[in-house]
Amino acid sequence: MDIRLLKPSDIPHVQHVNITNLPENYFMKYYLYHALCWPQLSYVAVDVSRPQKTPYDYPRIVGYVLAKMEEDPPDGVQHGHITSLSVMRTHRRLGIAEKLMRQSQQAMVETFGAQYVSLHVRVSNNAALRLYRDTLGFKNEKIEAKYYADGEDAHSMKLDLGFIREQITDQQEEDGDEGEPIGEMGKKGEEVNEDSRVEKKRKVRVGRGLGVGDLVEKNESQKA
Amino acid sequence: MPQLLSAKEQSLFRTVVRNYEDKQYKKGIKAADQILKKNPKHGDTLAMKALIMNSQGKTDEAFALGKVALQCDMKSHVCWHVYGLLYRAVKNFEEAIKAYKFALRLEPESQQIQRDLALLQVQMRDYQGYLASRRSMLTARPSIRQNWTALAVAHHLNGDLTEAERVLTSYEETLKNPPSKTDFENSEAVMYKNSLIAEQGEYQKALDHLESAGKHNLDRLAVLELRATYLAKLGKSEDAVQAYRALIDRNSEYKTYYDSLIEVMGISKDNQAKKAVYGEYAEKYPRCDAARRLPLDFLEGDEFRGAADQYLHRMLDKGVPSTFANLKNLYSDRPKKEVISSLVQQYIDGGKSEANEEPKRSGDTSKGASSAFYFLAQHYNYYLSRELDKAMDYIDKAIELEPQSVDFHLTKARIWKNYGDAPKASEIMEYARTLDTRDRHINTKAAKYQLRANDGVAALKTMGMFTRAETVGGPLVDLHDMQCVWFLTEDGQSYARQGKWGLALKRFNSIYNIFDVWQEDQFDFHSFSLRKGQIRAYVDMMRWEDQLREHPFYTRAALSAVDVYLKIHDRPLLNGANGISEVNGEDAAERKRVAKKARKDAQKAEREAEAKKNEPNKASKDGDNDAKKKDDDPDGVKLAATTEPMKDAMKFVTPLLQFSPKSIDAQTAGFEVYIRRKKYVLALKCLLAASALDSHNSKVHQQIVSFKLALDRDSESLAPKTAEVIKSEFKLLPALLSPKDSPSIEKDIASVLQLPTITFGAAQEALELLNSWKSGEVVTFKTSAEKKWPKAKIFA
Ligand SMILES: CC(C)(COP(=O)(O)OP(=O)(O)OC[C@H]1O[C@@H](n2cnc3c(N)ncnc32)[C@H](O)[C@@H]1OP(=O)(O)O)[C@@H](O)C(=O)NCCC(=O)NCCS
Repeated sequence: MDIRLLKPSDIPHVQHVNITNLPENYFMKYYLYHALCWPQLSYVAVDVSRPQKTPYDYPRIVGYVLAKMEEDPPDGVQHGHITSLSVMRTHRRLGIAEKLMRQSQQAMVETFGAQYVSLHVRVSNNAALRLYRDTLGFKNEKIEAKYYADGEDAHSMKLDLGFIREQITDQQEEDGDEGEPIGEMGKKGEEVNEDSRVEKKRKVRVGRGLGVGDLVEKNESQKA
Repeated sequence: MPQLLSAKEQSLFRTVVRNYEDKQYKKGIKAADQILKKNPKHGDTLAMKALIMNSQGKTDEAFALGKVALQCDMKSHVCWHVYGLLYRAVKNFEEAIKAYKFALRLEPESQQIQRDLALLQVQMRDYQGYLASRRSMLTARPSIRQNWTALAVAHHLNGDLTEAERVLTSYEETLKNPPSKTDFENSEAVMYKNSLIAEQGEYQKALDHLESAGKHNLDRLAVLELRATYLAKLGKSEDAVQAYRALIDRNSEYKTYYDSLIEVMGISKDNQAKKAVYGEYAEKYPRCDAARRLPLDFLEGDEFRGAADQYLHRMLDKGVPSTFANLKNLYSDRPKKEVISSLVQQYIDGGKSEANEEPKRSGDTSKGASSAFYFLAQHYNYYLSRELDKAMDYIDKAIELEPQSVDFHLTKARIWKNYGDAPKASEIMEYARTLDTRDRHINTKAAKYQLRANDGVAALKTMGMFTRAETVGGPLVDLHDMQCVWFLTEDGQSYARQGKWGLALKRFNSIYNIFDVWQEDQFDFHSFSLRKGQIRAYVDMMRWEDQLREHPFYTRAALSAVDVYLKIHDRPLLNGANGISEVNGEDAAERKRVAKKARKDAQKAEREAEAKKNEPNKASKDGDNDAKKKDDDPDGVKLAATTEPMKDAMKFVTPLLQFSPKSIDAQTAGFEVYIRRKKYVLALKCLLAASALDSHNSKVHQQIVSFKLALDRDSESLAPKTAEVIKSEFKLLPALLSPKDSPSIEKDIASVLQLPTITFGAAQEALELLNSWKSGEVVTFKTSAEKKWPKAKIFA
């Protein structure tokens, strides 16, 4: 199973894996939004062993992590966020989810100077909890009551990425680089909204017409 | 004539614009009406009012008013701009471009109009036009880096790499100080430029650029990967080896890295050396799968046996459910297939303990045994090693050890599916679902099997356990909203199997529409990606969108739709011409009755829709601009009542042939439609293409025969020129088969049953084919098929 970066052409299959495995689903545009804003952060697992059947075979995706940077971090600290992670049942316990997560975390630090990464997980999701807590070292931040559309609570979890920073600094020193600290780039959150997502009930309006396009219309009218 | 407003009205006009922006449509209309009371022919105000009405969903009225506005003031760029916006809103981009161009001619300095025009041009892939727009935008505001990058992208998309690179360099030269290392826009621009250099084949230059300008780039992975590629291309093997090793250390689960490393080490043909490399990484990374799994691809004989044994122990001891999935591609190699199953058998016989070097996990001995049984069940269920009774035996053994296992029951259901008993398969899958009601994957499988058993009602209910409860309209609407392609496709195919053409076409059309949406989705990124500075990903997206409909998701739905249209077309013909009743025994009168009813229903639906349209639009509230349009044909009755099924089918055929010309299924589908439309040259073109792809394909042979028959029947009606073309082209086809040959083709087809690899699905197809030919082979075929799949229903 290959672990590699997600490309736009992977998206229909990623969307398929998502809706097969999880109740929180998204329009294609929301995937594009991730792939085009933070192309370094999302990864897929691909079954490369399948023999080609037609000249138009697309890589068979069996798992993915969809990740982003928090755009306007309330705490003012640059950090990443895991939007969605899942692996096809037929390919679980191969270590895929763990490896997807590690690749994404690495890039969060290198490219966007993330200090930590956060995520939400259902309190009943034992497999995922073990993965995050025991294998990857996430800590429980708090419980968000009724976070999910069906009323279930979420653990809000966090992993400090300081250990990756240290590795990078060590590496740079070994390479004889000046070892300038990375990160601190504090890019201001873009004004694009994320309404094309429908992950969590309440806060979010549904309808792709309210996506990124909303803005464009607005700009047009200003002149008219 | 430009019209002047008083100062008070000018300020009112500004209010109208603001109201529009803030989506306060009612207020906006009110203010506009106030202006219009005194200046009924004020073009700009009329135009703004039209724009607001459009946002309220009153498209037709908006267009009418937009036209009035233009008549009042042909010289107003606002009127033209609004006219363009109206067209844009209904996705008529060509007309929108025209209108924007008029507007721009009247107001050449308007950045806003220029920008809107540019966005449409790139969406429509009018690269010449886009280049011109981008040039003028750069001239207007050269201080903004985005404008330079955008011009470079325009050149790039237009195929001019050198010019694209030059534009980026020109900008760099205007910089007085080097941008900071954490300037993301700059970081990405450097990588973009580097990719342009490499795309021109200048690897040395690209390498130098990467090692200087790209040294501290924020996209670390891209730098490492590109550097390795360039070094390899330039033959700098030693450095390339180091570069690939660094990549494997970063991510040891990427086959390409190992392949490349082996390549630059020059050991592609040396299995021992390769094995050593993988061994080194297996030891270095205890949790790594690739370094253990990949050598099984090339190792042979005893070495394969040893490595496979180790691998199997590792996986079975741990009870990894995906072990078989991860190994099955080795089955194309017969000896390996045999070794694997015997190793698993040994694992079971040996009680596994002695050979096991790794420490036991949690001391659970049943884990190893049950996963071994599970493995063998999958082995005997796989089409290359299928013995379904054995498979069933093993899965029952596994289930005995772990009666609550979802995976085991899932496999049991699959075995039933391969027996050809869809209802039983569905029943078991449903049981598997109840074993873990919180897992959507097993829920999905249960729904899919219900569809396969043609129980759409149950399937939707199953799906509804995971769709959002608050969606108005229930699970089906949610599945549409969430673009759940697999469900819509399977649902459509299930309806098609039941002869419910309308609903089948409805679903396939939904897929078609989803692809339209996916194409539109790129629009916002033309501007957004530039703002974000993510250029390479944007170019990637553009390339993908260019080929969007080659996606197998489209192909599958489109082929199914064409199939239904063919059946609709052929039904009346079948009755009249042959008078032979169909497989499902529906008689002619009944069919006529159904068709008549469908047409009546359609007319009724149309009348009702018409009546609704004329009703005052009660539902539309102010600001409520995304109220969903009501579907006036929810069950596809109108679709199925078509009098021109072959014309309708073209909607699906055209993209198939355009984007998947190398798909034999696309070509044969194209043929079937064209031959019925009596477009013989086009039909022949498909036939030639299909035959070039696979001249032994049984469908191709069948089509050669029907092409010849059709020509014989229709020779009079052909224009002499056409006849000439066809005659010369037709000769190119392989050994022309006369209808007399058809018994031998039928024999050919019937004999597929003897193939060791024959699947149930393939046999089903063969039977359909023979049925459609009214072949004398049908009975024999059914008898031998029934022997092979005694539990299947359809051969009985
Ligand atoms: C959660 C999920 C992503 C794990 O994927 P995976 O590829 O099977 O996980 P990995 O093989 O990388 O597991 C890594 C570690 O996580 C833990 N883990 C994973 N699945 C587990 C399970 N079913 N039970 C207990 N622990 C589990 C283990 O500690 C495992 O390490 P180990 O195999 O050495 O014991 C997968 O089960 C899934 O897709 N579930 C449905 C969707 C979902 O819940 N996504 C998470 C939403 S927040």
